[in-house]
Amino acid sequence: MSQPVRQPLIQMSHIYKSYGRVQALEDVSLTVNTHEIVGLLGDNGAGKSTLIKVLSGAVPHTSGDIFMRGQKVQIHSTTDAIALGIETIYQDSALVTQLSIARNLFLGREPMIGPRWMNRMDRKMMDRVAGELLKRVGIGKNIPPTTPIGSLSGGERQAVAIARAMHFDSDLIILDEPTNNLGVAETQGVLRFVRGARDSGHSCIFIAHNIHHVFQVVDRIVVMRRGRVVADDIDPKKTTVEAVEHVITGME
Amino acid sequence: MGGVSRTTDCVGLPPPPSSPTRGGVLHAATIAGAPLSEATASQRLFANKFIARPEFGPLVLLVVELVVFWSINHDFLSPGNIGNTLAFTVELGLIALAMTLLMTSGEFDLSVGSVFGFSPVLMWTLMNSGGVPMELALLVCLGVAGAIGYFNGWFVTKLKIPSFLVTLGMLLVVRGTALFITDGFPQRTWSAGGHWLAQVLVGDFYIGGLRIYMSLFWFAIAVAVLGYLLTQTKVGNWIQASGGNPLAARARGVNVNRTKTGLFMLSSMLAAFAGVISSIRTSAANPNSGTGYELEVIAMVVIGGTALTGGRGTIFGTVLGIFILRVMRNGIVLIGVPGLAYNIFIGAIILGMMALHSWLERRHQAGT
Repeated sequence: MSQPVRQPLIQMSHIYKSYGRVQALEDVSLTVNTHEIVGLLGDNGAGKSTLIKVLSGAVPHTSGDIFMRGQKVQIHSTTDAIALGIETIYQDSALVTQLSIARNLFLGREPMIGPRWMNRMDRKMMDRVAGELLKRVGIGKNIPPTTPIGSLSGGERQAVAIARAMHFDSDLIILDEPTNNLGVAETQGVLRFVRGARDSGHSCIFIAHNIHHVFQVVDRIVVMRRGRVVADDIDPKKTTVEAVEHVITGME
Repeated sequence: MGGVSRTTDCVGLPPPPSSPTRGGVLHAATIAGAPLSEATASQRLFANKFIARPEFGPLVLLVVELVVFWSINHDFLSPGNIGNTLAFTVELGLIALAMTLLMTSGEFDLSVGSVFGFSPVLMWTLMNSGGVPMELALLVCLGVAGAIGYFNGWFVTKLKIPSFLVTLGMLLVVRGTALFITDGFPQRTWSAGGHWLAQVLVGDFYIGGLRIYMSLFWFAIAVAVLGYLLTQTKVGNWIQASGGNPLAARARGVNVNRTKTGLFMLSSMLAAFAGVISSIRTSAANPNSGTGYELEVIAMVVIGGTALTGGRGTIFGTVLGIFILRVMRNGIVLIGVPGLAYNIFIGAIILGMMALHSWLERRHQAGT
């Protein structure tokens, strides 16, 4: 982690995406450095979600290249993206509502115990780690890790998804509107978690409608308008919410 | 069965919180008076969680059945009757256990009844007219059943055709094959007599006046293994995830297609195994046997608390469901209700249990 020149973690260059005649992304280039939280802002229909879906493997792009640590990568599916260390947390998180918190956290990467032919999960370890993670995400109430996801609130589910990304050391965590539908305490928990993620070496792309939340955590703001990037190096410490709003709406 | 019930905690609800020093609280209550309500509240919480478990309703129903039938006719619990009821119950039960896992993964299999009839026909045809030794014939018919299951799984997962249609088609193909190769006549089976394999599969012995078939042990093994598989293993986690939210499961790297295909194979092979056991016990391999079993088996599974839509399943519940239906069939005949009225009771039980499960589900979702 001590390279003198910061090599970008993710570099999307000249991405185009069209749905039939509609040009959703036009020559979009986006760079995310290591240890960096990038805030992605833009009005509805600006292309934020499409850009994120391309990066997380949910939709294919029409043309353009994606590089990870300088290496060109192909992302054809969400599984590819996860394997590369790109974890996306959507508003309706991809969790199995019938399964417990612990089982969801480790789904697909279950820790095993005992001889291999027994195929036995280490449920004690899963429950313990899940319990610790839940505390770190700041789910204040005392929820046992054996609780099924179905009986959690939206914010709690969000927190579980974030905890999962954290635990498996994803290099890049994409948070799509993570603070929507969250209470004040839960929002603070998520924001604190994002900061903690950067401090422990993760990078994040943070998408939110609430500019104040973005200002609280990000290192750099990228603004999109009508499928293009119109600003990509706004420092939240050197500008104001009003100025950024002007950039988003395109009115001087 | 106690061990199985203990291990199903993750399928239903979290285990009740251990109430620390209840005695202490009660002691304080007698002095202060106020914390008394707290103690009863924690007891009520414990009771609530127990009641909210999907296996609770079926358990109560089974106990009620046993008590009612026994009080009307004491012969109901005689060793002779218990032995008779158990003999066929466990054969059908083997299919229901495999169906529980398959339904937890979000699919079901209508072809199990015809595989139940077809496999022994195949085995006895090989032995009678092909001179194949019994060991090999059994392996061949389990292999063929596995292939049938693989085919079902392939159609469902690769061609994305609903399992209802795929397995309905397979039901007709398999049943038709059984009728075709036998010209509709039952196969000779009495040559099995003292064969060691027949003894291992379905040999019988007496404990006191109770006649026990070896198939009961096969059933118990299947309960233990499949219960363990569903609740303790990675495969079990994948089965539940495949049924609960296949897209999310796939995104996490769960091989949903392989999981489901494997379960289709398991369900076919256990149906074949049950069919062979049944044919040896009754000394008959009838190409028409097993007709309608698929629906009775599915009824057993859903009565036990497994969700028809997938994601949640319980082996212990299925064991209860198996006994609820078989005890009902046996009991109403014993207490003098006409056997033709059997289906009325079964239908009423299914409807009642579904209403109970959906009510518990809604209350649980709203309550937390």
